[in-house]
Amino acid sequence: MDIDGFLRDPQSRRRFLHRSGVIVGAAGSATLLAACADGTTTPNVMTGPDESDQADVEILNGALDLELMAVAAYKAGAGRLRGSLLEVGKKLLEQEQEHVDALASAIKDAGGTPNRAKSSYDFPELRSQSEVLRFALDLENTAIAAYIDALPKLSQGDLRATAAGIIANEAEHVTVLLDALGRDPLPAAFVTGKAS
Amino acid sequence: MTQRVVIADGDAGTAEIAAFERDRRELLRRGFALGGAAIAASSVPLLLSVRNAFARATGDAAILERAINLEQVAVLAYDTALGRGLLSPALRRIVRRLRDHEQEHAEALTTALTDLGATPPAAPKGVGDVDKVVKGLRDVKTQADLVNFAIELETATVAAYHEAHAELVEARLLQTAASIMGSEGQHLVVLRSAAGRDPLPFAFETGAA
Repeated sequence: MDIDGFLRDPQSRRRFLHRSGVIVGAAGSATLLAACADGTTTPNVMTGPDESDQADVEILNGALDLELMAVAAYKAGAGRLRGSLLEVGKKLLEQEQEHVDALASAIKDAGGTPNRAKSSYDFPELRSQSEVLRFALDLENTAIAAYIDALPKLSQGDLRATAAGIIANEAEHVTVLLDALGRDPLPAAFVTGKAS
Repeated sequence: MTQRVVIADGDAGTAEIAAFERDRRELLRRGFALGGAAIAASSVPLLLSVRNAFARATGDAAILERAINLEQVAVLAYDTALGRGLLSPALRRIVRRLRDHEQEHAEALTTALTDLGATPPAAPKGVGDVDKVVKGLRDVKTQADLVNFAIELETATVAAYHEAHAELVEARLLQTAASIMGSEGQHLVVLRSAAGRDPLPFAFETGAA
């Protein structure tokens, strides 16, 4: 997954959203993708018991990559924020870090190895508070869309509930950021991450 | 279950192992759902009724029925609040927006339920039906009362959707539930801000009080 350029490349972003759930190429995963592609049911894994854990690990690591990028982005943007907006930025950073920690724990519990942060991210130049806020808004919406796409592919109920708790929190971040940008903080009745 | 394990450990065919795996996953799913409901209910007694309502629901249609009822209760509560003339123009605009969102949620869920071939539940009729979810609407006398009541109502709704994620089966319903849960979380941000509270108290919005 190339996470450096996708924010500036809508095609790359769409591809990422499609791929963020299940990336492994085994036959069982093809079943997973097929089951979800027609939107009918959560997948039934047709092979050994370990494969559902492995698929969950792949999904969770995809989410972890996004959360790690969000942490890096809020750190990068903090220098442009002032006053109450700096406090908001710190809060959002703390909550993204909590998501990182929870996802890493879940990945270890499922027998996997958590991905690590990249040594650097190719973010756009953030020259003002509003640019930081808009970039953050894009990141949050991207995360929401990725989580909603991946949600049905998680095999364990407790993982789906955890993901839902994160989705709701990212949705809250969107409202805070929209408000800070002077935009309608409640633009739609359904939060999909695909419009802001 | 034990028999199945023995079969899977022997020279069972692929189809038998697959059947076992489906059973295992279904049992795991039910186990997690029940466990989650029990923990949540014991930690927040005030919201017991709505949590139990979702915990008792089995199958997607039953969960949808409960969710529709919850959304309709929210519409009724906000309509009642709007009808009392307590609200400033700014808060009135917010409450009307929340009310309209809940109505959209109810309509989408009703469509999903009908698609499953089930009949939508009867609409709640009065404050007594609201009390079954969150008590206190009768005692709302001020704007502050209303905002605090709405925070409790939205929190209960988030909690119900959070728990439903462990039990819902259909992919599209899971995604719809998540997008609605996100919306209720956004409502909470606006309401907490209106109440002068921290708008982002939790990194995981699960409906914890």
